[in-house]
Amino acid sequence: MATARSTQMPASEAVRGRMRRQREEELLVWPDLVFVEFICAVVFTIMLVILSVLVNAVLLDQANPAVTPNPSKAPWYFLNLQELLLHMHPALAGVVVPTIALIALGAIPYFDNDHEGQGEWLSTPRAWPNVIVGAVVGVFGTLALIFFDASRHVDFYEWMLNGPHRVPTLPDGAPDPTYIHWPEALNWLRSLRSLQTQVAWPAWSTNVPFSEFIPAQLIGITDFEVHLNLPAILVEQIIPTTTMVGLPLLLSLVAAKVGLAKTRRDHMILQFSGFIATYVILTIIGTYFRGQGLVLTPYTIFSIE
Amino acid sequence: MAVTERPERHSLGDRLYDAIFSNRVWRSIFRSGYPNTPRNQMLAVATNVFLHLHPTRIHRTHVKITHTFCLGGLSFFLFLGLTISGVLLMFYYVPSVDRAYTDVLALQTDVRFGQLMRNMHRWMAHGMVLTVLMHMMRVFYTGAYKPPREFNWVVGVVLLVLTLLLSFTGYLLPWDQLAIWAITVGTNMVGSAPILGEPNRFVLVGGFQVGQNALIRFYTLHVIGLPLMAAIFMTVHFWRIRRDGGLAKPL
Repeated sequence: MATARSTQMPASEAVRGRMRRQREEELLVWPDLVFVEFICAVVFTIMLVILSVLVNAVLLDQANPAVTPNPSKAPWYFLNLQELLLHMHPALAGVVVPTIALIALGAIPYFDNDHEGQGEWLSTPRAWPNVIVGAVVGVFGTLALIFFDASRHVDFYEWMLNGPHRVPTLPDGAPDPTYIHWPEALNWLRSLRSLQTQVAWPAWSTNVPFSEFIPAQLIGITDFEVHLNLPAILVEQIIPTTTMVGLPLLLSLVAAKVGLAKTRRDHMILQFSGFIATYVILTIIGTYFRGQGLVLTPYTIFSIE
Repeated sequence: MAVTERPERHSLGDRLYDAIFSNRVWRSIFRSGYPNTPRNQMLAVATNVFLHLHPTRIHRTHVKITHTFCLGGLSFFLFLGLTISGVLLMFYYVPSVDRAYTDVLALQTDVRFGQLMRNMHRWMAHGMVLTVLMHMMRVFYTGAYKPPREFNWVVGVVLLVLTLLLSFTGYLLPWDQLAIWAITVGTNMVGSAPILGEPNRFVLVGGFQVGQNALIRFYTLHVIGLPLMAAIFMTVHFWRIRRDGGLAKPL
């Protein structure tokens, strides 16, 4: 029996199995940590000096409120929000989404509050698959939505059917009758906005006298006048909200169904990775792929001149 | 015959070492010599005003660079660097729409190392946004927000917001086309909020468009208001790390 055991477990393994005392696992802060910090600070000081010698900070012409540059962009860390602004109502993109995102971020530990997986990188089972799935879904899902709103699927369809070198006009400028266009019956699918503009909405739906339904005097508020544009609300608020809430929920549901995410930590890793991926992609698109008029095209700040 | 004890012969290096590190001036600053026993090394940390934010001992996995990538420490380091370079920049900068831009131009061309100072401040500011974001990711993926550290995560989220606001308020100060329009776009986002948006934007900008009032508001927030708040929250953040038992350990 003893020999069988020793073949299963080498001696070194048996020694390692002993619980280490707390003290043995600890190092002294001086010198082990203080020196790492010091070296880190020195290395980064040198790197920052080198960077600052090589690359100058941008300084454009003096501020002129009369001349609006095209495009005008927020600082890079807010370009994700500016990117959202292109796809939904400004109040939603500029205020509601960031507020809810920050509150949700702060609420993570109150939702995922077991002690599993602390103090080590992605140590719970299924952690890495959840990171990868969350990030991949975040990146490609966001890209797909952006491409849809920029009508890239229309371009792709026409490009596939006409070949890469065809243009919709003849050399003399007249439209080419043999050029195949996106089917007119699907014009409402050209982008999110075309759902509002390409559908024959009844006249009443764009001008609903909302304030008439509210008995302002009865509930003691001043009389007000608000007319609702239902197609605009659908396109600017309902569909974006449904997308931003629904797709992450769907992801978690599917992940739970296929056994990818079982614990709260799994779901948190999945959602957080998706959030970070979306944040990064939106920032990259907003920074490098929004040119004049904020259309989807490669762009750098240095082309402003 | 009595054997008299001969004094030990010291090498030049020894005497030089003694001259530097054992004289009265040095000893008045650093009361003990180099701490070369575990007890003295712990005392060196515990009794030093700058080092005593640290515990005296630390779990061995937390010293590995790949555990934290020094990201929290780097954020703090960048904050200190930004404070120093920012104070230097304040010597040359007047927050007035008539002077701000020319002051920055003069800083770049007339002031010795002025361009370098401005570059350092700019790159450290961008760097701090990055390190704070990456620090948040590190804390998340190492599960270091779990009980009892929930509240420190919330403090961290507040610090992330303060970092973004610090960077955003600084963005206006050069008073060039990039600055004014970036702030216009950014504050218009605030203004789009339902009901409270427009009044908030008005308070932030101090008017209907970004001008002198906005510049002085952003300047004041940038150089005193937000750094003070960040310093207070950082104090709580670091204090809670110690109170919650240091960095999170595997169970």
